[in-house]
Amino acid sequence: MLATITVDDEKCNDPLSCRKCLLICPTHVLGLGTDVGPQKFRETDPSHFILRGVRFDKCTGCMDCVEVCPQNAIQVSF
Amino acid sequence: MCVWCDQFAAGYERWYFNPANYARRLYKIRKEAAEALGAEANPQEAGGMAILGREFLEARERNDYEAMERMKREAEQVSWGTHFGQVITLDEALKVTDIIYPISLMTCACRRSMVGLPDEENFTCMGMGPGMYKWERWPDTYRGGVHFLTPDEAKEALTKLNKRGLVQTIATFGTPYLAGLCNCDYPDCGFIRTVLDFGVRVLWRGHYVAKVDPELCNGCANCVARCQFRALSFAPTRNKAYIDEFQCFGCGLCATECDQEAITLVERASLPSLANVW
Ligand code: SF4
Ligand code: SF4
Ligand code: SF4
Ligand code: SF4
Ligand code: SF4
Repeated sequence: MLATITVDDEKCNDPLSCRKCLLICPTHVLGLGTDVGPQKFRETDPSHFILRGVRFDKCTGCMDCVEVCPQNAIQVSF
Repeated sequence: MCVWCDQFAAGYERWYFNPANYARRLYKIRKEAAEALGAEANPQEAGGMAILGREFLEARERNDYEAMERMKREAEQVSWGTHFGQVITLDEALKVTDIIYPISLMTCACRRSMVGLPDEENFTCMGMGPGMYKWERWPDTYRGGVHFLTPDEAKEALTKLNKRGLVQTIATFGTPYLAGLCNCDYPDCGFIRTVLDFGVRVLWRGHYVAKVDPELCNGCANCVARCQFRALSFAPTRNKAYIDEFQCFGCGLCATECDQEAITLVERASLPSLANVW
Protein backbone atom coordinates (compact mmCIF):
# COMPACT_ATOMS: atom_id res chain seq x y z
CA MET A 1 0.00 0.00 0.00
CA LEU A 2 1.29 3.47 -0.88
CA ALA A 3 1.51 6.01 1.88
CA THR A 4 0.00 9.45 1.57
CA ILE A 5 2.32 12.02 3.09
CA THR A 6 1.23 15.58 3.68
CA VAL A 7 3.26 18.46 5.02
CA ASP A 8 1.88 21.72 6.32
CA ASP A 9 4.24 24.30 4.78
CA GLU A 10 3.13 26.99 7.25
CA LYS A 11 4.32 24.87 10.15
CA CYS A 12 7.36 23.47 8.38
CA ASN A 13 8.84 26.87 7.62
CA ASP A 14 12.56 26.13 7.43
CA PRO A 15 13.08 22.49 6.49
CA LEU A 16 16.59 23.16 5.18
CA SER A 17 17.89 23.83 8.65
CA CYS A 18 15.48 21.57 10.58
CA ARG A 19 15.64 18.38 8.43
CA LYS A 20 14.86 16.18 11.43
CA CYS A 21 12.43 14.01 9.49
CA LEU A 22 14.87 13.64 6.58
CA LEU A 23 17.51 12.30 8.91
CA ILE A 24 15.30 9.93 10.87
CA CYS A 25 13.44 8.30 7.98
CA PRO A 26 15.00 4.83 7.72
CA THR A 27 14.37 4.46 3.99
CA HIS A 28 14.94 8.06 2.80
CA VAL A 29 11.40 8.54 1.59
CA LEU A 30 11.26 12.30 2.08
CA GLY A 31 12.76 15.00 -0.07
CA LEU A 32 13.61 18.65 0.02
CA GLY A 33 12.90 21.00 -2.84
CA THR A 34 11.84 24.55 -3.45
CA ASP A 35 8.53 26.02 -4.54
CA VAL A 36 10.32 28.32 -6.99
CA GLY A 37 12.67 27.37 -9.81
CA PRO A 38 16.34 28.28 -9.68
CA GLN A 39 16.72 32.00 -10.00
CA LYS A 40 19.48 33.90 -11.70
CA PHE A 41 21.89 35.70 -9.36
CA ARG A 42 19.81 34.83 -6.34
CA GLU A 43 19.97 32.10 -3.75
CA THR A 44 16.55 30.78 -2.83
CA ASP A 45 15.37 32.06 0.52
CA PRO A 46 15.00 29.28 3.14
CA SER A 47 11.29 30.12 3.37
CA HIS A 48 10.86 28.77 -0.18
CA PHE A 49 12.20 25.36 0.68
CA ILE A 50 9.57 22.65 0.99
CA LEU A 51 9.55 19.19 2.41
CA ARG A 52 7.62 16.45 0.59
CA GLY A 53 7.05 12.74 0.47
CA VAL A 54 8.81 11.52 -2.67
CA ARG A 55 9.77 7.85 -2.66
CA PHE A 56 6.46 6.55 -1.35
CA ASP A 57 7.32 3.03 -2.46
CA LYS A 58 9.76 2.83 0.41
CA CYS A 59 7.55 4.18 3.21
CA THR A 60 7.01 1.50 5.84
CA GLY A 61 4.56 3.55 7.88
CA CYS A 62 6.81 3.55 10.93
CA MET A 63 5.76 7.14 11.79
CA ASP A 64 9.22 8.13 12.97
CA CYS A 65 9.02 11.32 10.89
CA VAL A 66 5.67 12.23 12.43
CA GLU A 67 7.00 11.73 15.93
CA VAL A 68 10.24 13.61 15.43
CA CYS A 69 8.69 16.70 13.87
CA PRO A 70 8.88 19.57 16.36
CA GLN A 71 6.20 21.52 14.45
CA ASN A 72 3.73 18.70 14.10
CA ALA A 73 3.81 19.47 10.39
CA ILE A 74 3.94 16.07 8.76
CA GLN A 75 1.23 13.45 8.41
CA VAL A 76 1.42 9.94 7.05
CA SER A 77 -1.67 7.91 6.26
CA PHE A 78 -2.56 4.77 4.34
CA MET B 1 28.58 -2.25 -27.88
CA CYS B 2 27.80 0.79 -25.78
CA VAL B 3 25.42 2.91 -27.87
CA TRP B 4 27.03 6.09 -26.57
CA CYS B 5 30.47 4.99 -27.75
CA ASP B 6 28.93 3.90 -31.00
CA GLN B 7 27.51 7.37 -31.59
CA PHE B 8 29.96 9.68 -29.88
CA ALA B 9 33.40 8.12 -29.43
CA ALA B 10 34.66 9.23 -32.86
CA GLY B 11 37.60 6.84 -32.79
CA TYR B 12 38.48 7.31 -29.12
CA GLU B 13 38.39 4.28 -26.85
CA ARG B 14 35.30 5.54 -25.02
CA TRP B 15 32.86 8.33 -25.75
CA TYR B 16 33.93 10.08 -22.53
CA PHE B 17 37.53 10.19 -23.75
CA ASN B 18 36.49 12.15 -26.82
CA PRO B 19 37.34 15.83 -26.08
CA ALA B 20 34.63 17.00 -28.48
CA ASN B 21 31.99 15.85 -26.00
CA TYR B 22 33.25 18.40 -23.50
CA ALA B 23 33.44 21.23 -25.98
CA ARG B 24 31.97 24.65 -25.56
CA ARG B 25 30.20 24.47 -28.90
CA LEU B 26 28.11 21.65 -27.49
CA TYR B 27 27.51 23.56 -24.33
CA LYS B 28 25.70 26.20 -26.34
CA ILE B 29 23.74 23.66 -28.34
CA ARG B 30 22.59 21.90 -25.25
CA LYS B 31 21.41 25.13 -23.71
CA GLU B 32 19.14 25.81 -26.66
CA ALA B 33 17.97 22.21 -26.81
CA ALA B 34 17.13 22.17 -23.11
CA GLU B 35 15.25 25.44 -23.34
CA ALA B 36 13.30 24.22 -26.34
CA LEU B 37 12.20 21.24 -24.28
CA GLY B 38 11.16 23.61 -21.51
CA ALA B 39 13.55 21.69 -19.31
CA GLU B 40 15.25 24.42 -17.33
CA ALA B 41 17.32 22.35 -14.97
CA ASN B 42 16.07 22.69 -11.43
CA PRO B 43 18.82 21.06 -9.42
CA GLN B 44 16.45 20.07 -6.66
CA GLU B 45 14.19 18.38 -9.12
CA ALA B 46 17.02 16.78 -11.01
CA GLY B 47 18.41 15.54 -7.75
CA GLY B 48 15.89 14.01 -5.50
CA MET B 49 12.38 15.07 -6.27
CA ALA B 50 11.84 11.90 -8.27
CA ILE B 51 12.41 11.36 -11.94
CA LEU B 52 9.27 9.24 -11.88
CA GLY B 53 6.35 10.51 -9.86
CA ARG B 54 3.62 8.95 -7.80
CA GLU B 55 1.77 8.00 -10.97
CA PHE B 56 4.46 5.42 -11.66
CA LEU B 57 4.29 4.03 -8.13
CA GLU B 58 0.53 3.75 -8.38
CA ALA B 59 0.80 1.86 -11.65
CA ARG B 60 3.25 -0.47 -9.96
CA GLU B 61 0.84 -1.00 -7.05
CA ARG B 62 -1.88 -2.18 -9.40
CA ASN B 63 0.56 -4.25 -11.51
CA ASP B 64 -0.21 -2.13 -14.56
CA TYR B 65 2.88 -3.18 -16.47
CA GLU B 66 1.82 -1.45 -19.63
CA ALA B 67 1.55 1.96 -17.94
CA MET B 68 4.80 1.31 -16.10
CA GLU B 69 6.63 0.47 -19.30
CA ARG B 70 5.27 3.57 -21.01
CA MET B 71 6.35 5.84 -18.15
CA LYS B 72 9.74 4.14 -17.96
CA ARG B 73 10.29 4.61 -21.67
CA GLU B 74 9.26 8.25 -21.52
CA ALA B 75 11.51 8.95 -18.54
CA GLU B 76 14.43 7.23 -20.28
CA GLN B 77 13.93 9.13 -23.52
CA VAL B 78 13.96 12.47 -21.70
CA SER B 79 16.90 11.44 -19.56
CA TRP B 80 19.01 10.12 -22.45
CA GLY B 81 18.53 13.33 -24.38
CA THR B 82 19.14 15.74 -21.53
CA HIS B 83 20.74 14.26 -18.44
CA PHE B 84 21.93 10.74 -17.80
CA GLY B 85 25.00 9.10 -16.37
CA GLN B 86 27.34 6.20 -16.93
CA VAL B 87 29.45 4.49 -14.31
CA ILE B 88 33.20 4.83 -14.86
CA THR B 89 36.13 3.43 -12.92
CA LEU B 90 38.44 5.58 -10.81
CA ASP B 91 41.20 5.16 -13.40
CA GLU B 92 38.89 6.38 -16.13
CA ALA B 93 37.79 9.33 -13.99
CA LEU B 94 41.42 10.27 -13.40
CA LYS B 95 41.98 10.19 -17.13
CA VAL B 96 39.03 12.53 -17.69
CA THR B 97 40.69 15.15 -15.49
CA ASP B 98 43.38 15.49 -18.17
CA ILE B 99 40.88 16.06 -20.97
CA ILE B 100 38.77 18.89 -19.68
CA TYR B 101 39.38 22.12 -17.85
CA PRO B 102 38.19 23.60 -15.56
CA ILE B 103 37.03 21.04 -13.02
CA SER B 104 35.47 22.16 -9.81
CA LEU B 105 34.16 20.62 -6.67
CA MET B 106 30.61 21.66 -5.90
CA THR B 107 27.80 20.69 -3.57
CA CYS B 108 25.69 17.70 -4.54
CA ALA B 109 22.09 18.44 -5.51
CA CYS B 110 20.93 14.88 -4.88
CA ARG B 111 22.11 14.82 -1.31
CA ARG B 112 20.74 18.27 -0.61
CA SER B 113 17.39 17.02 -1.72
CA MET B 114 17.52 13.56 -0.18
CA VAL B 115 18.88 14.40 3.25
CA GLY B 116 19.22 18.18 3.29
CA LEU B 117 22.97 17.78 3.67
CA PRO B 118 24.53 21.09 4.77
CA ASP B 119 26.85 22.65 2.16
CA GLU B 120 30.03 22.18 4.17
CA GLU B 121 29.49 18.39 4.29
CA ASN B 122 28.25 18.18 0.74
CA PHE B 123 31.21 18.81 -1.61
CA THR B 124 31.05 15.51 -3.48
CA CYS B 125 29.94 16.58 -6.93
CA MET B 126 32.23 17.79 -9.71
CA GLY B 127 31.32 20.12 -12.53
CA MET B 128 33.45 20.35 -15.65
CA GLY B 129 33.96 22.60 -18.59
CA PRO B 130 33.13 26.12 -19.67
CA GLY B 131 29.72 26.06 -17.99
CA MET B 132 31.50 26.21 -14.64
CA TYR B 133 32.59 29.78 -15.28
CA LYS B 134 28.95 30.75 -15.03
CA TRP B 135 28.49 29.42 -11.55
CA GLU B 136 27.87 32.85 -10.06
CA ARG B 137 24.75 33.25 -12.16
CA TRP B 138 23.07 30.32 -10.49
CA PRO B 139 23.79 30.57 -6.79
CA ASP B 140 21.21 27.91 -6.04
CA THR B 141 22.66 25.26 -8.31
CA TYR B 142 26.05 26.03 -6.82
CA ARG B 143 24.95 26.54 -3.23
CA GLY B 144 27.97 26.85 -1.01
CA GLY B 145 30.12 28.07 -3.90
CA VAL B 146 32.55 26.11 -6.04
CA HIS B 147 36.20 25.15 -5.63
CA PHE B 148 38.16 25.21 -8.87
CA LEU B 149 40.72 22.40 -8.89
CA THR B 150 43.94 21.83 -10.77
CA PRO B 151 44.06 18.45 -12.57
CA ASP B 152 46.21 17.10 -9.75
CA GLU B 153 43.83 18.35 -7.09
CA ALA B 154 40.92 16.83 -9.00
CA LYS B 155 42.72 13.47 -9.06
CA GLU B 156 43.37 13.67 -5.35
CA ALA B 157 39.74 14.56 -4.62
CA LEU B 158 38.41 11.72 -6.78
CA THR B 159 40.75 9.23 -5.14
CA LYS B 160 39.59 10.31 -1.68
CA LEU B 161 35.93 10.13 -2.63
CA ASN B 162 36.47 6.66 -4.08
CA LYS B 163 38.23 5.58 -0.89
CA ARG B 164 35.22 6.84 1.05
CA GLY B 165 33.07 4.46 -0.96
CA LEU B 166 31.57 6.74 -3.58
CA VAL B 167 31.09 5.56 -7.16
CA GLN B 168 32.39 7.69 -10.03
CA THR B 169 29.89 8.47 -12.74
CA ILE B 170 30.03 10.74 -15.74
CA ALA B 171 26.93 12.71 -16.66
CA THR B 172 25.60 14.58 -19.67
CA PHE B 173 23.86 17.91 -19.60
CA GLY B 174 22.34 17.88 -23.06
CA THR B 175 23.67 14.62 -24.53
CA PRO B 176 26.46 14.13 -25.53
CA TYR B 177 27.79 17.19 -23.74
CA LEU B 178 29.58 15.90 -20.64
CA ALA B 179 29.72 18.24 -17.66
CA GLY B 180 29.23 16.17 -14.52
CA LEU B 181 31.79 14.01 -12.76
CA CYS B 182 29.74 12.64 -9.93
CA ASN B 183 30.57 10.67 -6.82
CA CYS B 184 27.51 8.74 -5.84
CA ASP B 185 26.01 6.18 -3.50
CA TYR B 186 22.75 4.43 -2.71
CA PRO B 187 20.25 5.59 -1.50
CA ASP B 188 21.06 9.27 -1.82
CA CYS B 189 22.04 9.55 -5.47
CA GLY B 190 19.00 10.04 -7.68
CA PHE B 191 20.64 8.16 -10.56
CA ILE B 192 21.52 5.05 -8.55
CA ARG B 193 18.24 5.07 -6.74
CA THR B 194 16.20 5.32 -9.91
CA VAL B 195 18.06 2.62 -11.78
CA LEU B 196 18.11 0.18 -8.87
CA ASP B 197 14.64 0.76 -7.46
CA PHE B 198 12.74 1.14 -10.73
CA GLY B 199 15.00 -0.31 -13.41
CA VAL B 200 14.86 2.98 -15.29
CA ARG B 201 18.17 3.44 -17.02
CA VAL B 202 19.11 6.99 -16.13
CA LEU B 203 22.45 5.49 -15.12
CA TRP B 204 24.21 3.08 -17.49
CA ARG B 205 26.51 0.31 -16.45
CA GLY B 206 30.18 0.89 -17.10
CA HIS B 207 32.48 -0.81 -19.58
CA TYR B 208 33.74 -3.37 -17.09
CA VAL B 209 32.44 -6.28 -15.08
CA ALA B 210 34.09 -7.37 -11.84
CA LYS B 211 35.13 -10.97 -11.32
CA VAL B 212 36.37 -12.75 -8.19
CA ASP B 213 39.28 -15.16 -8.43
CA PRO B 214 38.38 -17.87 -5.91
CA GLU B 215 42.04 -18.94 -5.64
CA LEU B 216 43.13 -15.50 -4.50
CA CYS B 217 40.13 -14.52 -2.36
CA ASN B 218 40.89 -15.20 1.31
CA GLY B 219 37.39 -14.41 2.58
CA CYS B 220 38.33 -11.23 4.45
CA ALA B 221 35.06 -9.56 3.27
CA ASN B 222 36.67 -6.11 3.05
CA CYS B 223 35.13 -5.58 -0.37
CA VAL B 224 31.57 -6.41 0.57
CA ALA B 225 30.57 -3.01 1.96
CA ARG B 226 31.89 -1.27 -1.14
CA CYS B 227 29.18 -2.28 -3.59
CA GLN B 228 26.44 0.29 -4.14
CA PHE B 229 24.66 -1.83 -6.73
CA ARG B 230 23.56 -4.97 -4.84
CA ALA B 231 25.93 -7.04 -6.95
CA LEU B 232 28.38 -8.16 -4.30
CA SER B 233 27.71 -10.41 -1.35
CA PHE B 234 29.59 -12.79 0.84
CA ALA B 235 29.09 -16.51 0.33
CA PRO B 236 29.69 -18.27 3.66
CA THR B 237 29.57 -21.72 2.09
CA ARG B 238 32.79 -21.12 0.24
CA ASN B 239 34.01 -18.29 2.45
CA LYS B 240 34.46 -16.07 -0.58
CA ALA B 241 33.15 -12.86 -2.00
CA TYR B 242 30.43 -13.47 -4.59
CA ILE B 243 29.67 -11.14 -7.48
CA ASP B 244 26.52 -11.32 -9.54
CA GLU B 245 28.09 -10.21 -12.79
CA PHE B 246 24.73 -9.58 -14.41
CA GLN B 247 24.00 -7.04 -11.69
CA CYS B 248 27.51 -5.54 -11.56
CA PHE B 249 27.83 -1.93 -12.78
CA GLY B 250 31.60 -2.19 -13.19
CA CYS B 251 32.51 0.68 -10.86
CA GLY B 252 35.56 -1.16 -9.54
CA LEU B 253 35.09 -0.06 -5.93
CA CYS B 254 35.35 -3.64 -4.71
CA ALA B 255 38.59 -4.18 -6.64
CA THR B 256 40.30 -1.07 -5.27
CA GLU B 257 39.64 -2.31 -1.73
CA CYS B 258 40.93 -5.88 -2.18
CA ASP B 259 44.55 -6.15 -1.11
CA GLN B 260 44.73 -9.76 -2.37
CA GLU B 261 44.07 -8.51 -5.89
CA ALA B 262 41.39 -11.16 -6.09
CA ILE B 263 38.98 -8.96 -8.02
CA THR B 264 39.69 -8.04 -11.61
CA LEU B 265 37.74 -5.88 -14.01
CA VAL B 266 36.92 -7.61 -17.26
CA GLU B 267 35.83 -5.79 -20.40
CA ARG B 268 32.07 -6.10 -20.67
CA ALA B 269 32.41 -6.43 -24.43
CA SER B 270 34.50 -9.60 -23.98
CA LEU B 271 31.60 -11.49 -22.38
CA PRO B 272 28.99 -12.56 -24.94
CA SER B 273 26.10 -12.59 -22.46
CA LEU B 274 26.99 -9.25 -20.92
CA ALA B 275 28.16 -7.29 -23.93
CA ASN B 276 24.70 -5.85 -24.33
CA VAL B 277 23.72 -5.60 -20.70
CA TRP B 278 23.97 -1.92 -19.84
S1 SF4 C 1 6.51 6.86 8.17
FE1 SF4 C 1 8.61 6.09 8.49
S2 SF4 C 1 9.19 5.28 6.48
FE2 SF4 C 1 7.40 6.59 6.15
S3 SF4 C 1 8.25 8.59 5.64
FE3 SF4 C 1 7.90 8.59 7.86
S4 SF4 C 1 9.84 7.93 8.75
FE4 SF4 C 1 9.90 7.42 6.57
S1 SF4 D 1 10.76 17.61 11.05
FE1 SF4 D 1 8.88 18.77 10.64
S2 SF4 D 1 9.51 20.91 10.64
FE2 SF4 D 1 11.37 19.70 10.48
S3 SF4 D 1 11.74 19.57 8.29
FE3 SF4 D 1 10.54 17.76 8.85
S4 SF4 D 1 8.40 18.35 8.49
FE4 SF4 D 1 9.63 20.22 8.53
S1 SF4 E 1 24.68 12.28 -9.43
FE1 SF4 E 1 25.90 11.83 -7.56
S2 SF4 E 1 27.31 13.57 -7.14
FE2 SF4 E 1 25.88 14.13 -8.83
S3 SF4 E 1 24.34 15.29 -7.80
FE3 SF4 E 1 23.61 13.14 -7.78
S4 SF4 E 1 24.50 12.05 -5.97
FE4 SF4 E 1 25.44 14.07 -6.24
S1 SF4 F 1 38.49 -8.08 -0.33
FE1 SF4 F 1 39.42 -9.53 -1.79
S2 SF4 F 1 40.14 -11.20 -0.50
FE2 SF4 F 1 38.71 -10.03 0.73
S3 SF4 F 1 36.72 -11.08 0.44
FE3 SF4 F 1 36.86 -9.43 -1.08
S4 SF4 F 1 37.69 -10.44 -2.88
FE4 SF4 F 1 38.10 -11.80 -1.19
S1 SF4 G 1 30.60 -5.82 -7.78
FE1 SF4 G 1 32.30 -4.36 -7.60
S2 SF4 G 1 32.52 -3.43 -9.63
FE2 SF4 G 1 30.54 -4.48 -9.58
S3 SF4 G 1 29.11 -2.85 -8.99
FE3 SF4 G 1 29.72 -3.91 -7.10
S4 SF4 G 1 31.48 -2.75 -6.31
FE4 SF4 G 1 31.16 -2.12 -8.45
